[in-house]
Amino acid sequence: MSAEFQTVRAELVATVLHVAAQIGDPVDPSDMLVLLDSMKMEIPVMAESSGTVTEIFVVAGETVREGDALAIVSLAS
Amino acid sequence: MHVVRGHIEGRPAIGFCTDATRMGGAMGTVGCRRIAAAYQTAMAEKLPIIGLWHSGGARLAEGVQALDAVGLVFQAMIQASGKIPQISVVLGPAAGGAAYGPALTDVVIMAPAGRIFVTGPDVVRRVTGEDVDMDSLGGPDVHTRQSGVVHLLAENEDSAMERARQVTSLLTDQGVFELARVGPNPDLGALLPANRKRAYDVHPLVEGLLDPSSFCEFHRQWAPNVVTGLGRLASRTVGVIANNPLRLGGCLNSASAEKAARFVRMCDAFGIPLVVVVDVPGYLPGAGQETDGVVRRGAKLLHAFGEASVPRVTVVTRKAFGGAYIAMNARSLGANAVFAWPAAEVAVMGAGAAVEILHRKKLAAVAEEDRTALLAQLITEHEQESGGLMRAVEIGVVDEVIEPCSTRARIATALAGFPPARGAHGNIPL
Repeated sequence: MSAEFQTVRAELVATVLHVAAQIGDPVDPSDMLVLLDSMKMEIPVMAESSGTVTEIFVVAGETVREGDALAIVSLAS
Repeated sequence: MHVVRGHIEGRPAIGFCTDATRMGGAMGTVGCRRIAAAYQTAMAEKLPIIGLWHSGGARLAEGVQALDAVGLVFQAMIQASGKIPQISVVLGPAAGGAAYGPALTDVVIMAPAGRIFVTGPDVVRRVTGEDVDMDSLGGPDVHTRQSGVVHLLAENEDSAMERARQVTSLLTDQGVFELARVGPNPDLGALLPANRKRAYDVHPLVEGLLDPSSFCEFHRQWAPNVVTGLGRLASRTVGVIANNPLRLGGCLNSASAEKAARFVRMCDAFGIPLVVVVDVPGYLPGAGQETDGVVRRGAKLLHAFGEASVPRVTVVTRKAFGGAYIAMNARSLGANAVFAWPAAEVAVMGAGAAVEILHRKKLAAVAEEDRTALLAQLITEHEQESGGLMRAVEIGVVDEVIEPCSTRARIATALAGFPPARGAHGNIPL
């Protein structure tokens, strides 16, 4: 059921600076999951909804492209 | 088709509504003639016009006559464009002519049951074999996040109507700058992160700049790296365009430039002064953007600001770099006033990036442990040489360095000081 999960994606080409969330973490909207470095800026990628982090696909230092999945949050019902 | 005359916040307005209970609200010659007549009245009396839509489009049984009638409705809307505010509320499925009707107007508001598409799922399946439902063809998610057709998504039908009234009121009852009542000057600087490289959400800053609870954001989810919307500043309606560093680092890209351009032109057509809040690292680079038409679509924003005759004030909060510096209502594009906060950078690029390019060899020649110190020294030298913000003030591209805590009052005072004006052009849905 795709509606119960939210895939959090990179909006632009970037380097992963820091992975803030861990699998199993409960998250709320605006909680930072991953910190990206791009355009000489540090851009936090946040959860859009409340839920639990079930997957993290990236590690610090990795380069991500636009649209790459960073994490999956299973949504609180 | 029903046409009514009424009042919104005490001001007269015209409304029309397709009748979904009769032939799915299909647009026949009689109904279309009624809309055209309503437009004539609205134009003659300079009244806003609000359309409520739930319609399958042109009435099939009436053949080409119905197409002709729908075309006349379009023509009435186009002739009225930029002269009287046109608001659309899409309450149910709106297909074909009923999709392009709203699309030609200034602001499109969607209720949760609203769907907008050129052709419905049945026709799509018959003609191409594609199996797709109404929701994925033209539901709220499509039009608020991806297509940019819808300006505002409402939680329910009542709130869709309430939003229509709010937008109409902001456009028609613009008020005047009441400088004596500008009220508290929040310290907007406190909303910036301590780390200059850190992205943040610009919404609290925009809301702090405007009168409390007055901000009505357009296209919140589409091209979210630029924030656009109407609000009130010292009681008067203003339009705000702000980079949002939280999304794409606040870079301009093709979609956000187009979104902002259309908004600027709408405000200009209706005489709404503009406030431009700048924190932009540049245009988003890359092949994706080039093929997406960032040159053509980015040019729309340059054009929109350059032709705008409404008073418009820019404030650089943190940085304005490169081509995006120009596109965000720079002095050279005719900004009436350009302010900057004390720590703002106005440059071709950040000092660090500039030094890395200008002194690449020198930096590569030193031992790695000495590089950071050399970089810092070169940055200081570069800033002294290029002049930083003070140089921008000296050459007149920034008028004045202002304090974050006085920004609200300074912008209101500046805008109030310029003669009111209005662009003589339509509001083509860019």
